[in-house]
Amino acid sequence: MFKLNLKIALRNLFKNKVYAAINIGGLAIGLTAFVLLLLFVNHESSYDKWSPELKNVYQVREYHDFFTPDNKAYWQQRSESRIATVLKEKIPQFKYVTKASEGWGDGYSVKIDRNNPVIVKDIVDADSLFFKVFPYEFIDGDELTAINAPNTIVLKQSVAIQLFGTDKVIGRQLKLVRWRSDEGNLMTVTGVVKDPSTAESLAFNAITHTGERDTDPDQISNSNYTGIYVRAEKFLDTNVLNKSLLNVYVDYKKALLKARGTTYNEFYKEKNRKAGLKILPISEVYSTPSFSENWLAKIKPIIALSIFLLIISVINFVNLATAQSVQRAKEVGVKKVLGAYKKQLVLQFLMEAAIQTLTALFITIILVELLLPAFSNHFNVQLSFWHSDQLLSIISQLFGLFILITLLAGFYPAMVLAKYNPVKVLKGNYESGFGGIALRNGLVVLQFIIAVTFIIGIGVMYKQNHYMASKDLGFDRDKLINISTNYETGDSFVESIKRIPSVKYVATTTQVMGNTFNTSRELTFNNQKFDVNAVTVTMDALPALGVKVVTGRIFAKEYAQDTINSVVLNQSAANLLGKNLVGKTFTSGPKNDVFQVVGVIKDYNNESFEKAVLPTIYKVTHLGGSSNTNNLLVRFDNDHYQSAIKTIEAEWKKVYPDFPMIYTSVEDAFLKELKPSLRLMQIVVLFSIISVVLSLLGLFALSTFMAKRRTKEIAIRKILGASDLQIINMLNKSFMILVVSANLISWPIAFILTKKWLEGFAYRIDMPFWPFAIATLTSVIIAVFTVSLQARKAAVNNPVDALKYE
Amino acid sequence: MIELKNIEKYYANKGVKSYILRHVTTSIKQGEFVSIMGPSGAGKSTLLNILGMLEEPTYGEYHFMGEDVTAMKERQRIELYRNHIGFVFQAYHLIDEMTVAENIEAPLLYKKIPGSERKSRIADVLDRFNMVAKKDLFPNQLSGGQQQLVGIARALVAQPSIILADEPTGNLQSTQAEQIMDLFKKLNQEEGITILQVTHSEKNAQYGNRILTIEDGVIKEDISVEKQM
Repeated sequence: MFKLNLKIALRNLFKNKVYAAINIGGLAIGLTAFVLLLLFVNHESSYDKWSPELKNVYQVREYHDFFTPDNKAYWQQRSESRIATVLKEKIPQFKYVTKASEGWGDGYSVKIDRNNPVIVKDIVDADSLFFKVFPYEFIDGDELTAINAPNTIVLKQSVAIQLFGTDKVIGRQLKLVRWRSDEGNLMTVTGVVKDPSTAESLAFNAITHTGERDTDPDQISNSNYTGIYVRAEKFLDTNVLNKSLLNVYVDYKKALLKARGTTYNEFYKEKNRKAGLKILPISEVYSTPSFSENWLAKIKPIIALSIFLLIISVINFVNLATAQSVQRAKEVGVKKVLGAYKKQLVLQFLMEAAIQTLTALFITIILVELLLPAFSNHFNVQLSFWHSDQLLSIISQLFGLFILITLLAGFYPAMVLAKYNPVKVLKGNYESGFGGIALRNGLVVLQFIIAVTFIIGIGVMYKQNHYMASKDLGFDRDKLINISTNYETGDSFVESIKRIPSVKYVATTTQVMGNTFNTSRELTFNNQKFDVNAVTVTMDALPALGVKVVTGRIFAKEYAQDTINSVVLNQSAANLLGKNLVGKTFTSGPKNDVFQVVGVIKDYNNESFEKAVLPTIYKVTHLGGSSNTNNLLVRFDNDHYQSAIKTIEAEWKKVYPDFPMIYTSVEDAFLKELKPSLRLMQIVVLFSIISVVLSLLGLFALSTFMAKRRTKEIAIRKILGASDLQIINMLNKSFMILVVSANLISWPIAFILTKKWLEGFAYRIDMPFWPFAIATLTSVIIAVFTVSLQARKAAVNNPVDALKYE
Repeated sequence: MIELKNIEKYYANKGVKSYILRHVTTSIKQGEFVSIMGPSGAGKSTLLNILGMLEEPTYGEYHFMGEDVTAMKERQRIELYRNHIGFVFQAYHLIDEMTVAENIEAPLLYKKIPGSERKSRIADVLDRFNMVAKKDLFPNQLSGGQQQLVGIARALVAQPSIILADEPTGNLQSTQAEQIMDLFKKLNQEEGITILQVTHSEKNAQYGNRILTIEDGVIKEDISVEKQM
């Protein structure tokens, strides 16, 4: 019986090729999006699972506000280095405690023999216990002693091959230069570890042991922040352990703060701060980033989109199968009187759904293989299907998906079919056996709701992206590059590039798009305390950025005072402090240094538009401390500055042969900030187009069946004198009601969703009206066009043909 | 074999009962060849459907081989289809996606008859109906008469004790119709299969040995046919 049913199924598919193609193709597209997402989710949840021993590895997180983007406290991956020593002494459950610090900036320059220096990212400096905590597999070298001595380095196998062309590199030496003027350390390779099969949250290309991680700062007032990882003897109850951890931490902080001349109460209680230290299993580190939302929250919209897409294709399947069931009614009736159980019929039709789903799944696998490179590129991950280590689990997931889709898509049509009353069908009375019209209409409406919402989404996102791309940033990002290096006054390199003809300004700031470093500062103005963001700049920085002055002036060489205690405020800071600020003074810092406001500039954006510009003070002086964050801004005075960059590079190479020059244009840095929302838009556009096409295919097939079903009615109406146009209108009307009601429902849905999306931006457009109008117009026009195509066919037919067979 | 007692079928419409069958009481014995006649809308087809358990009477008793049909569950009824009842339709109702042989095989599949026996039975029936050459054709490649032969072959292959035929020759030309009626007669006389047919044609009715005439839902006449042959 199975064989016969299989044959019938295949014969039916071949008989209705268009229908089958729409069904299977639609399902394949929906599934492809879903499977790609599945692969991505699998990848993202595979972090730090490459060894069973990692179960006993934990990351220490301290709750503090140092180095945070908005100067607020977070659970950070970098903790104060002295904590490692404390933990080693006070927590017996920790077998090993290691400190590992990821490098700053763009990576280190690696120079081997006399070769050109190359930049290698993710070189992690650790103490000698790193490989006691992390169970990396050594393919060369001794894992127990590899990084015991200072100035040793352990390479990943892939990196060793990339740098030396071989993984037999024990004893080879390389020079590690960490910034341009660094003398460099000669490191000896003492080990090569295998690249793990799955991703790591602490990703490194090489582990160095410079010796810097072995000690804490001598002065009690100085702190050093580093990653701390621990290896436990056996499984730990983190809840219980974190309680004792907190006690240890509070005791430590009390002693530390006392040594620094303040008290725990003063530092925490009075300022409403929270003290915190905890451990996190290493497997949870990746999914718990300190500042941003985790990957699951980030891809939530995409998860929703692909589920919607899958729903649309399943709806197509259900709709078409149910509509097509008329053709199968007789078969059901006959089989019933021949003695088929209802269950047998349901199974038969489920099997047919299964065949189509399986075919769709095969196409999906092909599509996934084809799309994977582009997809991986888009999401910046390395995904694979056939070569994945999780192939087995992927296959079982696909099997689960197959069952789910078969049931979703096949169950309802199977039930409808199996329910046919044989007497009615065999009499040729299909109409009354033709159930579920209301449901089918409902599904068409649902499809169109999704499609229209998508279209509106595109419109709003397009507007917002357009707004962001063309928004006045408050500074001039054109003809401006940022060389990744520190700037020191009187620097001979800087003096030499200042002499290059098309260079207009050379300056540094701690706040520029692409590399913004916010430090919080408390100031007292009119006896009131304010928290503002402090930015250290050089004299030329604000003119180099091209900021706009609102009142007063910006720094200039003519004013000697500027190097002593002048500050410039941005508009937000000015709004915070009050009116008529130019010439007023405030105090700040432990010694109550006095600063004088010389001007107010317009707010300028230096981060993505999700974030509002912070109230900021700009100062040239070193008074009250300053920072330097690897920015060297060069402003050119004409558009043909490529040759000038070449000259700068040549100059650089002369002075710093061991470190390559790295720079970005500020324009590129700006585009990079726009990328996340642009990326989301690209995906939404793609998914929207697919969903609209799928919905229309569904509508197309459905209208075909409707027209067929009403052939007799159309013929009789024609004989009674209806024109073709009247008939087309009649057929259109029933669909138009569905499309219009779908539009009415999707308007509020789209409004709420896009509003929520827009609210994620500090700088955003007002809700535009035209995407709504356009979505509605588009959907109506396309639906009319689709249905008319079918209706015309039915209408121009000779009525005699239709009636002859009745 | 079949006992009907006071069978009634009506539809209630706005409080008014419109009767299709009224007070139908009759019995049909094993081996009879009964023709049901009457004008359009008299209730012939409804009666046949009730006999075939495709419809339920609103009221009355129906015993099939001594069992009360009205009290049966669906599964039991399906068992009866499988083992005792063969249907033949005016519009043949062959499954379009199946070949001749597969159409004939279908009821055997539901009876869970093993493959080897299925093959021999199909071969047997095809041989008897001279359709061996057409076994791999699809229904739409056959003439109406041939399709009806397949329909009858399908009803017979499960070796039913009764065949219910609703206007079996209604769509056929007279020569083809005669062929079919001869076949029915032969099956009835030689194999003792009970046959119940609904027909408009006096001539076809003469093939059987009993004629039930229904008018307005009531049995008007119940006469046996003189053997002329």
